[in-house]
Amino acid sequence: MSDHQFRDRAAIVGVGATPYSKNSGVSTLTMALRAISAAVEDAGLTLDDIDGVACHRVNDSAPASIVAESIGKQDLHFFLDQFGGGSTSHAIVGAAAMAVATGQAECVVCWRSVNARSEFRMGGTGRPPPDQLEFQYQYPYGYAHPPQQFAMIASEYMTNYGATSEDFGAVAIAQRWYAERNERALMRTPLTMEDYLASRWIVEPLRLFDCCLETDAGIAVVITSAERARDLRQAPVTISGAMWGSGHTLFSNRRPDLAISGSAAASPRLWAQAGVGPGEIDVAEIYDAFTPLVLIQMEDYGFCKKGEAGSFVRAGETGLGGSLPVNTHGGHLSEGYVHGLNHCVEAVHQLRHECGDRQVEGAEVALSTGQGGYVMGNSSAVVLRRAP
Amino acid sequence: MSDAGGTGSADVPRLLPNPDRDSQAWWDALARHEFVLQRCDACAAWRWPPREICNRCGSFEYTWTPVSGKGTIASWVVNHRAFLAGFELPYAVVNVRLAEQDDCKLIGSFRGPIPSLRGGLPVRAVFDDVAESVTLISWEPDE
Repeated sequence: MSDHQFRDRAAIVGVGATPYSKNSGVSTLTMALRAISAAVEDAGLTLDDIDGVACHRVNDSAPASIVAESIGKQDLHFFLDQFGGGSTSHAIVGAAAMAVATGQAECVVCWRSVNARSEFRMGGTGRPPPDQLEFQYQYPYGYAHPPQQFAMIASEYMTNYGATSEDFGAVAIAQRWYAERNERALMRTPLTMEDYLASRWIVEPLRLFDCCLETDAGIAVVITSAERARDLRQAPVTISGAMWGSGHTLFSNRRPDLAISGSAAASPRLWAQAGVGPGEIDVAEIYDAFTPLVLIQMEDYGFCKKGEAGSFVRAGETGLGGSLPVNTHGGHLSEGYVHGLNHCVEAVHQLRHECGDRQVEGAEVALSTGQGGYVMGNSSAVVLRRAP
Repeated sequence: MSDAGGTGSADVPRLLPNPDRDSQAWWDALARHEFVLQRCDACAAWRWPPREICNRCGSFEYTWTPVSGKGTIASWVVNHRAFLAGFELPYAVVNVRLAEQDDCKLIGSFRGPIPSLRGGLPVRAVFDDVAESVTLISWEPDE
């Protein structure tokens, strides 16, 4: 604990998830309710204890107000229905922690619930382009969907910093190793560099195994004060720092280098608030809608110099026993794509030392990040700590 | 995941721009085959996409000003899936750094051999009439 206004004042005390699947067979509302109930149960609380709700969505999920009404809330103390995809995933956790730290609310539940495979595929496949200001400049060229936009970033990262396909492949392979040891993960068979390089192009320079798994799932976390957390069921995990940052929208204007994400400017604030630096992070869950995002963010959060994350991963440093285990659940690439909140949940499991064969020994401090600020123009992250 | 993927088809017309009140002048100029961008009257910075305010100095004063149409490829992608209708696979989309200003970049189609694509490739703008009164900027090699 410290006398910092925010640092370690709020804690994640419960986590919950539905099974991951290609077709949940139920609504996003139902999945949200199931994940919330599981998270509340995990915390040793009841739904009556919840007085705040926070979610993010892009018109692809049930609104926060309907979820709140469904669990019987008639006088919410805090709500947040954030527009945005994975770049806002950790902003809702940070906002919930602020609400608790400032006394606006006592106990806030955050969730993300998506039928991202069976109903609303972020990657396109028939979905019309989002109703967003800047898409008029993109879709007339047959360009509007995340794999295309992130391939554009990957291309510039390769041109400017010499990143290679093998660097991207090493990320996918390292994460698959963890997924083999994660019973929640959807992809659990070993992946080799030969498999990776033989996989088909989706949009060059991204291959199939560079892309996340669009998934149906609901995920929830419960946040309350660090003080109250001490009396609850689980080992409390405090929120040491939370970051809001900006990013790129149409890949023009004041941002000449696409390979530098919005987190590069914002991460020093996160480290200062959390009172730790990249060298003190035991495990990092880094948003990985596509493999290059992991490398770019590792650099922008200060774990590696620009252009050096690929060789770091190829040297095995992000594996178990390496100097920085990364995406120990398998990430969006191999566990499933729940738009960032599953990274936060994995960080909590690691800090609670519940991860079995993929546990990072003695993990005490974790970084968990949202998407680094591309397309939507915002980024977010948290630093979490196992409370002493 | 199916191998070809997507419901896009080259036989279906592509989606056309839906101009808003900020972008109408841009699309109208392109339809007249004029490649003009907003240039700030106060600080001379170029910007794209169309906005009423300068992202450097905050001025609302600007002039639609012709650009050279020259640039270099900052990044590029080759689509092997039909993400949207109206395109024959594979097709390339490029992000072009304008000669006028390092951080003013435009998205566009690439009208050249895909194997020639590389970061830094010099390109020039061409007008692409894709429908009645609808013109897009595309890019072809300039060397």
